[in-house]
Amino acid sequence: MSEPSIFFTEVNERQGVFHRRAFLMGGLSGLGLLALTGRLAHLQLVEAQRYEKMSASNQFNFRLVPPPRGLIVDRNGVILASNRPNFRLLVAKDGKMDPEGTVKTLAHFVPLDAERQARLTKDLIRAPKRSPVSVMEDMSWEQFSAINVRAPELPGVTADMGEVRVYPHGGAFAHVIGYVAKVNREDIQPTGPNSEAIMLHPGFRIGRQGVEKAFDLRLRGRPGAQKVEVDANGREVRQDSEGDIPATPGAEIQLSLDADIQTRALEVMGDESGAVVMLDCRTGDVLCMASAPSFDANRFVRGMTRPEYQALANYERKPLLDKAMSGLYPPGSTFKPTVALAALEAGINPEVRIHCSGGWYFGGRTWRCWKPGGHGSQNMHDAIKNSCDVYFYQTALRIGPDPIARAAHALGFGQTFDLGIPGQKKGIVGSKEWKRKAVKREPVWQPGDSVSYGIGQGYVNVNALQLAVMTARLANGRKALNPRLVRSIGGKELPSGAAVPDLPFQQAHIDYVRGAMIAVANDVTGTAYRQSQLGLGDVMMAGKTGTAQVRSYDGVADRNSASVQWKLKDHNLFVAFAPYDAPRYALSVIVEHGGLGGATAGAPRAREVMRVALLKDPEIRARIEKPLPMPELTPDGLAEGAAPGAPVPGAPPLATPPSGGAV
Amino acid sequence: MTVSALTRPGERDRLVVKFSEIDWLFSFALCLIAGAGALMMFSIAGSSWEPWAGAHLFRFGVLFVVMVVLAMVDLRVWFAIAYPLYGVGLVLLVLVEAVGDTRMGAQRWLDLGPLGSFQPSEVMKLGIVLGLARFYHSISADDARFSWWLLVPVLMIAAPVVLVAHQPDLGTAMLILMTGVAVVVLAGLDWRVIATGLGAAVISVPPMVMFVLHEYQRKRIFTFLDPESDPSGSGYHILQSKIALGSGGFLGKGYGLGSQSQLNFLPEKQTDFIFATLAEEFGFVGCFSVLFLYAVVIFMALRTAALAHSHFGRLATAGVTATFALYVMINGGMVMGLAPVVGVPMPMLSYGGTVMATVMIGFGLVQAVRVHRYSEVTSGKGSFL
Repeated sequence: MSEPSIFFTEVNERQGVFHRRAFLMGGLSGLGLLALTGRLAHLQLVEAQRYEKMSASNQFNFRLVPPPRGLIVDRNGVILASNRPNFRLLVAKDGKMDPEGTVKTLAHFVPLDAERQARLTKDLIRAPKRSPVSVMEDMSWEQFSAINVRAPELPGVTADMGEVRVYPHGGAFAHVIGYVAKVNREDIQPTGPNSEAIMLHPGFRIGRQGVEKAFDLRLRGRPGAQKVEVDANGREVRQDSEGDIPATPGAEIQLSLDADIQTRALEVMGDESGAVVMLDCRTGDVLCMASAPSFDANRFVRGMTRPEYQALANYERKPLLDKAMSGLYPPGSTFKPTVALAALEAGINPEVRIHCSGGWYFGGRTWRCWKPGGHGSQNMHDAIKNSCDVYFYQTALRIGPDPIARAAHALGFGQTFDLGIPGQKKGIVGSKEWKRKAVKREPVWQPGDSVSYGIGQGYVNVNALQLAVMTARLANGRKALNPRLVRSIGGKELPSGAAVPDLPFQQAHIDYVRGAMIAVANDVTGTAYRQSQLGLGDVMMAGKTGTAQVRSYDGVADRNSASVQWKLKDHNLFVAFAPYDAPRYALSVIVEHGGLGGATAGAPRAREVMRVALLKDPEIRARIEKPLPMPELTPDGLAEGAAPGAPVPGAPPLATPPSGGAV
Repeated sequence: MTVSALTRPGERDRLVVKFSEIDWLFSFALCLIAGAGALMMFSIAGSSWEPWAGAHLFRFGVLFVVMVVLAMVDLRVWFAIAYPLYGVGLVLLVLVEAVGDTRMGAQRWLDLGPLGSFQPSEVMKLGIVLGLARFYHSISADDARFSWWLLVPVLMIAAPVVLVAHQPDLGTAMLILMTGVAVVVLAGLDWRVIATGLGAAVISVPPMVMFVLHEYQRKRIFTFLDPESDPSGSGYHILQSKIALGSGGFLGKGYGLGSQSQLNFLPEKQTDFIFATLAEEFGFVGCFSVLFLYAVVIFMALRTAALAHSHFGRLATAGVTATFALYVMINGGMVMGLAPVVGVPMPMLSYGGTVMATVMIGFGLVQAVRVHRYSEVTSGKGSFL
């Protein structure tokens, strides 16, 4: 055992110091490793849960999924706005991608012209990281699958299936329903519902007009989320469909409109410019509210090019304007039933006759009747039936503006109704007080103002909706109703328009005016007799014609000449309700620059729209289909023996205002 | 073979005897660590030998053979080449300053034409240990404690540290400095000098940080102090590494299932942050096992140092061990968010040939000291070369 001696041969001071210090170094290393172990234990045992959460939030992302937008349906459940699948090509910028190169590559798969490529590249560079930019919508299945196959090699490129809004009726409901469009920078607000992240989703659309805008939040629904596993570059690695949160679809909105009536109304308007509004007299439901010409709302969803938009905006018949609610027109002779009612309420005896000789001299000038030869001796019934201007000049002058304004307000003029959608204009109902406030230049109501007021010219301006409300209220008797456009939201019924005070008129007076309106359409001498025949047996229509003058006719020889420029022609108005013996449907038609006399352009169109509504109504249908009653049982007010299509004696039924009214 | 047989003159010079004297437990621990590294590289490459795991194992195999061969080299040869190696290292550092390649903003690489390129600072890691060991071998314990002789080791350390820091490669410079200081302390520096030096170092850290460091280095330090201040910027590495570690928990997420590393949230997952990769997939158990292996390596090397008869052998072994331990501490601290992010890999575990070569050649020296632990190395000019 000589080992120990070898071991200690070099025992010296240097070795001793080294051994002590090496021991110390070993101790320090041990301490260091222990410290590392302690730190490990802290991270992996004590704080493990916290880091597990952070790891999971790294690993998994929730991708927002836009909810299906709520449907919009008509009163019978016909779809007016729905969603259809859309194959979409998206590019999201991530750290390493080259926007220009990617767009160039994509141009091999989908048609992208040079201008579009440049714009996309710019958009991509500007877009926030990882927020996708839509390259193309509505790809074909072939394009969609080609992109999907190549997607793994194209960083940031995804082809997915989204939904896009579709309006199956094209333009028929464009003004009421409006449309949806891409979200603008201005739409995004720092707080509130318009601050949500879903706003940035390329598939998300915001309501821009009409119902889509007014009920946007209800239609939107709640976005869902898709759980995906992502890598550090935000690229999707795997989907975890069990972790998905389903989207809540938007609420379905049912309108009171009837798709058939609306479509027919737009059809009969043809190329004309104007509006048709129909109400259900008993409930106030708006069955039709069309503005012509219209536009295809689907084009707005896709996004319009500048020339396309300019073509719409610059067309002189103004397709983008909703003429039913925001187009204001002088009511012309359609205002005469209102004046008549005011006169009856003011104590005028309707049987007192006024002589019409084709004109009336008052205030230093001649107020002409539309019928140059005059109507002769007229009571109130005849004056409405014949639309005699002279009778109403004098009657309005006698009772003054304020009773007329009261009656007009009660019948629905000069006000807006709560339809739920924006855009109504109040219009003007002239009165002494109104003029004092509104007309600074000449604040005092002049007798001449009353004269033109009597025939619906001058200080009176209405829209098609108000005309329809007036007609519905007259037709329904004393029970007034407010129009209702939205029947239910998400299955919850909205109150009907019944909560309105009764009309402040005596029933007998209303009946008198109604009788006169029946005569307009059904007396062979009425101004709209020929154009108002429904051809539905004893189901017949009552109405009133009107012409709204757009310029002064002093010195103009022929007002109805074909040579008159379209923009200078008179507006043509017609209001109607049917069946006249048990009114159900009230209607107003305005044909802009439709020419002289409400019967020429307005009444035939009103008749066509009314026929659709009547034929759709099962009760009316039953009445039409049962055998005709004996002729002697026909209700009074209808001229005996006047069969449809019989020759009509007398002048053509034209209602012409004088040249005096300020328009 | 009996102990007495080993005492026979010339017996210890036989190759077979030398081979049997290699520290096989130590070597086995190294193999396990390298194997663990390859395992992790296989996992993060998506169960593939390409591109890292295969190369890592191949390199380790070659360098293991190199280590065994170097273990056969007589200690006197190591002693003889100590100063030349240090000298060559210094010359190369000057050369790299003059004609070196600039990569990633730092002049660290020397282009050797067809042989590729390498970092002269790696030569210096070994050169400083050998040079200092040889110097201290020649002076007495009293001189080593405190004397004018100490100016020599101070200059020997300062020259490479300044040159490397100027590249700038602060991590390596600090490593060389700390290795050198470790050797000086182990050689028997007076405690009072050590205390003074420590005090001076502590006082000079803040002004160094503010005025001497580069902007990116300063930023790293500030980020280290408050990593969550900028989680997507420079604090990202530390935060993601800590998430990988912490989410591993006790048993880990399972082999091949580490989301942080597999989905690239972890930066430098196969090199500097491979320990975090391991921690995520094998949890505390895996980490503890690997740290235990490192402890085995360090303590076996220190044991070799303690056994050596020559002062040169002792100091050289302890110096190499100090370098190795520093690597482990710095990388471990960085991965766990205890130290700033510096480009120091986990030796044997991380992918990368340069550091592995340095460490394995150093361990060749350690093995040689063990094999030749009874050899006397005469001081001064007593070498046979």
